[in-house]
Amino acid sequence: MRKHIANIKLDEEENEINLTPMLDVVFIMLIFFIVTASFLRESGLDTNRPDQDQPQVLQDEEGAILVIIDETDDIWIDSRIVDPRAVRANIERLHAEDPERPVVIQTARTSRAETLVTVMDASRQADVYNISIASAE
Amino acid sequence: MRDSVEELLAEEEAEINLTPMLDVVFIMLIFFIVTAVFVKEPGIQVDRPEAVTAMVPERGAIFIAVSAANEFWIDQRSVDMAGLKPVIERLHAENPEGGVVIQADNEAQNEFVLAAMDAAKEAGVNDVTLAAVVP
Repeated sequence: MRKHIANIKLDEEENEINLTPMLDVVFIMLIFFIVTASFLRESGLDTNRPDQDQPQVLQDEEGAILVIIDETDDIWIDSRIVDPRAVRANIERLHAEDPERPVVIQTARTSRAETLVTVMDASRQADVYNISIASAE
Repeated sequence: MRDSVEELLAEEEAEINLTPMLDVVFIMLIFFIVTAVFVKEPGIQVDRPEAVTAMVPERGAIFIAVSAANEFWIDQRSVDMAGLKPVIERLHAENPEGGVVIQADNEAQNEFVLAAMDAAKEAGVNDVTLAAVVP
């Protein structure tokens, strides 16, 4: 009887699987995924580009707050040149007059991207998130 | 003789149970596999404009850089304007969930920034973000 029990105990110990090789593999996979995981977090602004085919209604003064960026990176609102720091205040004022109006940015081909982002940022700061970007003819 | 038997017993006692560590390692492995997004980096560094309201988009996977010299860079390669749409289409097919992030240099001309937006739109990506850094 005693011998029998001893055999069973031995068998049980024999049945244990050696986990070490699997652990090695899992560790190598873990290291691979940690190394290749690129925590690339790029911040940015959402954009809305109208379809090219659709007829453009940008000239409609009633419909939208039109901000024009010209070739020399000057910003025009309401036929006046506006300082980049004053864009927010201007859009806020127009937004207060009619909160439904979206902002349409019409940008010249050769203007700089920095100006575009400045205007978009100013508009978002003025609580107008509905921004469309158009290019001047 | 008796000492050696005790030593043998002690050695067996000293074996560490690896199972809990294996559990932890497995969970970490699954976490890293799941969170691994295979982001296509553009391959050049651009001087991004500043914006206070910049937010991190949920899923940006395709990065298009527009350099100060108005060159497009996607996936470590320089691409011309005509080649933009096919490349975005191919990358979008690989990862349909991901949006496009356009990294425009401060000095890049808007013509090229808008061309990149149009190409992304034509390639069927509606989620287009213009990269900016919070100052």
